[in-house]
Amino acid sequence: MSVKVEVSEGGVPHDRIMAIGLVGSLVAIYLTYLNVLTGTQLFSFFGGIGAVFAIWWGTDSIKTLCSYGIGTGVPSAGMISLGSGVIAMLLATKMGVASPIGAVIIAAVLGVILGFLSDKVLNMNIPVMIRMLTELTIAGALILLGFSSMATGSFAFLDMIAGSTTFFGIEVATYSVSLIGGSVIAVIFMLGGIAIQHPFNACLGPNESQDRTQMCAAECGFLSMIAVAVMSFAFLSVGAAILGFIVAFVGWIYTYMEYIKLSKRDAFAWLDAKPIREPKGGA
Amino acid sequence: MVENLVLGIGVTALAGALATVAGAAEDTESDIGSQGDPNSQVQLAPQMGYIHRIYNKAISGEPPAYGLWCALGAGIAWALMAINLNAILALIVGAAIAVFVQGVYATTAYLGRTASLAKFEQPVYIDILKSVTTVTMAHAFVAIFTTISMCYLMVAALGHPFPLPLLGLVWGIALGAAGSATGNPFYGKERQYQEQKFGAGVPISASGNIVRYAEAGQRSSLDNGWFTSKLAGPASGICFGLIVFFELWRTVLFESFAAGWGAVIAGVVIILIFTVIDRYVETWARNTFGPYAEAPAEAEEAAS
Repeated sequence: MSVKVEVSEGGVPHDRIMAIGLVGSLVAIYLTYLNVLTGTQLFSFFGGIGAVFAIWWGTDSIKTLCSYGIGTGVPSAGMISLGSGVIAMLLATKMGVASPIGAVIIAAVLGVILGFLSDKVLNMNIPVMIRMLTELTIAGALILLGFSSMATGSFAFLDMIAGSTTFFGIEVATYSVSLIGGSVIAVIFMLGGIAIQHPFNACLGPNESQDRTQMCAAECGFLSMIAVAVMSFAFLSVGAAILGFIVAFVGWIYTYMEYIKLSKRDAFAWLDAKPIREPKGGA
Repeated sequence: MVENLVLGIGVTALAGALATVAGAAEDTESDIGSQGDPNSQVQLAPQMGYIHRIYNKAISGEPPAYGLWCALGAGIAWALMAINLNAILALIVGAAIAVFVQGVYATTAYLGRTASLAKFEQPVYIDILKSVTTVTMAHAFVAIFTTISMCYLMVAALGHPFPLPLLGLVWGIALGAAGSATGNPFYGKERQYQEQKFGAGVPISASGNIVRYAEAGQRSSLDNGWFTSKLAGPASGICFGLIVFFELWRTVLFESFAAGWGAVIAGVVIILIFTVIDRYVETWARNTFGPYAEAPAEAEEAAS
């Protein structure tokens, strides 16, 4: 589709979505630090909530960027978001408590460089390119950091490369059973990359409406969170992993039901086992 | 040494067979769901006035989508194996959860795209959602399970250095690419345009005029799966099976030569041989069936 899609009437302005997404994501990811303060792993699921906020925000950024006639570029926008975000996220995990803030700052710098290269050097000439690529890089970094901290219970680099395995009843430290050593981060990369691009890709068209697209974004976020919760069984205590799973599942059921309701509201007709109705004066 | 080699060749053959099944299932799944490039015509049809009952599974290109499904299946299997679950069970649970995610994505894509076409009077058909989604999920399960089983064989039997989730990602993308490149033309260029003359291409005036009616009643996406499973699915299966088989075969046989360079040289030789074969097949097909533009005139001459 090469039609410029205007922001839906009565929609929430993009700046407000960005503010809610950025602050919500940062606060939620910081709440996983309660794990360290209380000595449990029960607060890991907040990382997933943070990633859902970032996906929700990133979806609107992709929509703003792709409204300039780059319909087939929607999935690519998701990939560049997570692809540049992973660099910022990995660097930031070395910063200790400052990791989430660090991820935002490094991603912002990286995003401006990438945006400048694509807009000015590759001459794509899209007015919002630099800003949206910056936002997408930050969102990508926060999605990765959020899901990683949900899976491991921490946003520190050491906890992401070190794991332990039981060898003849004795616990031994190993790098291969860890988030990065086991390449679980590759799965998180794909979960985030598809989730951030899917809502606008799925809802684009002349009757796209913002609340439906954003509900789909939250649904995709919680769906990815379910998958991360299952994988977190390898790293967290059973109780913490089950809690994460329940939170993700409840969130997903709610948003999925709401999304179906909104689709029903927007659809031309909602038919069950009915034939094709040729339009008047149509083909 | 010889025993290792025999085991390696056996595993290679088994992995190739799994990949063949995966390729066939993947292409049939994407054709039933109208994913990949044929999707653009399904999306365009209502705008040109052709209301249809075809599934519209716009998730992303097939390579990234299958990259996610296979990486997710492999990642969950890896996590369950890390807490000492049986490998076969872990692979099945991994594939099942990945298919759940695939099914949910498919429904949101159909609902979203169709609801956004309300202006062109395209209704949402709930029966399509109920009957077709489950069929694509079944095919996707076969594709994902065989692919991650093949990845597990590479790790467990051939000692591949990559962790399972990364292999799942790499081979998932390869699977999606193989199905997208090999099988999709049969759906997107042949099936959707059966009302056009053979070899006519897709003129702009025919855009969106896809096959919507059947011999009796109306076409559903399940009919497209039936149609493409005859040639497109097996062709994709052979493509992906050969990719996996030759990839492992050259490594198992030639890795011990020249400090690993033997496998690289064998890979280059295989690519060159296939380039020659492909070129021969292409020129043969063009000479036998083409050129397209003059075909109707020749046919008239032959008739008169």
